[in-house]
Amino acid sequence: MDWFPLWNSLRIAAVSSILVFFSGIFLAYYVARLPKTVKGVLDVLLTLPLVLPPTVCGWFLLIIFGLTHPVGIFLQQYGVKFVMTWYGGILASAVVAFPLMYRTARGAFESFDETLAWSGKTLGLSDTYIFWRIRMPVCRQGIIAGMVLSFARALGEYGATSMLIGYIPKQTATISTTVYQLWRTNDEYSAFIWVLVNLGISAVVLLAVNMLEKSSREKRLRR
Amino acid sequence: MKKWWMAAALVGLSLSLFGCGGSNKPAEKKEAAKPADKKITLNVYAAASMTETMKKIATEYQKVASNVEIVYNFDSSGTLKTQIENGAECDLFISAAPKQMNQLDVTKDAKINPKKLDFLLEGTRLNLLENKVVLAVPEKNPKGLKSFDDLAAKLKDGSVRLIMGNSDVPVGQYTQKILAYYKLDEKALANQGLISYGSNVKEVTTQVKEASGDCGVIYGTDAYSAKLKTVGQATKEMCGQVIYPAAVLKKSKNPEAAKAFLKYLQGADAMKIFEGVGFSKVS
Repeated sequence: MDWFPLWNSLRIAAVSSILVFFSGIFLAYYVARLPKTVKGVLDVLLTLPLVLPPTVCGWFLLIIFGLTHPVGIFLQQYGVKFVMTWYGGILASAVVAFPLMYRTARGAFESFDETLAWSGKTLGLSDTYIFWRIRMPVCRQGIIAGMVLSFARALGEYGATSMLIGYIPKQTATISTTVYQLWRTNDEYSAFIWVLVNLGISAVVLLAVNMLEKSSREKRLRR
Repeated sequence: MKKWWMAAALVGLSLSLFGCGGSNKPAEKKEAAKPADKKITLNVYAAASMTETMKKIATEYQKVASNVEIVYNFDSSGTLKTQIENGAECDLFISAAPKQMNQLDVTKDAKINPKKLDFLLEGTRLNLLENKVVLAVPEKNPKGLKSFDDLAAKLKDGSVRLIMGNSDVPVGQYTQKILAYYKLDEKALANQGLISYGSNVKEVTTQVKEASGDCGVIYGTDAYSAKLKTVGQATKEMCGQVIYPAAVLKKSKNPEAAKAFLKYLQGADAMKIFEGVGFSKVS
């Protein structure tokens, strides 16, 4: 049995999650500080991939990065091709998972007690220190929730991924597209095995996150 | 409190409007007195490669039989066959290869129809059209492909990526025959990342058009409709004859209307539209 889709799905989900984590928290932090109208417009734009069907997201990605369109042609000159490559899958998953991290981080930051940041400032701490050592730990629950959601979404991405990177065995096949292909070619047995694998991964990830939350809660109580 | 009542009233109003819209139609149907003028909806499931031609034919058919509304479902014949098998409502099925039709035909033996399915209306199955399998390339033909022989050579040394239908798609099955003709191992090529699979012929066509691969194997009719350049045509030795069988289904609620439409498809007006994109009568 070809186990490439497992490795491919995991690496796409992992890299997308890291990209989405950093872009999500930074944009959540900065957008909250913008004037109301700009904030409103940016909010809509950044949350759009969550509301749009994945196939619509895939269509947009294709008309931007497709090899017969300006941006795609330009990038191809430098050897960068998002269509039909595994890192195109990172782009698709990241776009689709981004709003989840962004909105959760926004919610967490907005319920953050600013007086903590101000106290830090009176003590002469830098903004970077305040962000990473005061704001982030306090908002930990929301951030972790956002990370879990975006990782799960990136792992389970099908529509946009299928449209952008297709199905090339040993190159761009993910668990989602593989299950679809196996079902279409009447290989129900293999499809079922992949379903079990996917359930297994999801269970492990959720258990790990639960244990992380428990241990962090216990640490705080002990203090 | 007032706001909740207003919201509930709005929702209730909109729901009742939908209900009204729905209930009007059966009333109208009863008023259309004569049985000959009864509005009939025909569900026609046709191979994706017939999309453009069948739509044109439906418009022409409106002039001949104005009470018949044709509703299409275009997809790979494998998908359509699975949908029919799982209970989808269909009156007429046109497949891009005999294989899918055979799997619904109880007169075929167990090797061809392993599930012993019996979906076809007796005496209505016939071979409607013939098509050609071609090698299509994107506009700039990046790998400079010249023929099927050239494709085989370039696949052997791993310098080209081919887009083909998967094994449930007729054009994919024809492609597999072509690969076997050139003694190429499809699985080995796939493991090297040289093959990309599409789930129906239109998806393969779009991917070739978007230059997502270096070439694709599709039907001559799809290449014509998508204005794609072709560099080779498969011969009978490579993949056999490309026959499109058609049949009325047993579970059809309007078998007479379906038979009438099937007859129209064989007539001169429909054939002109089919031949316009590259289909031909079965030789």
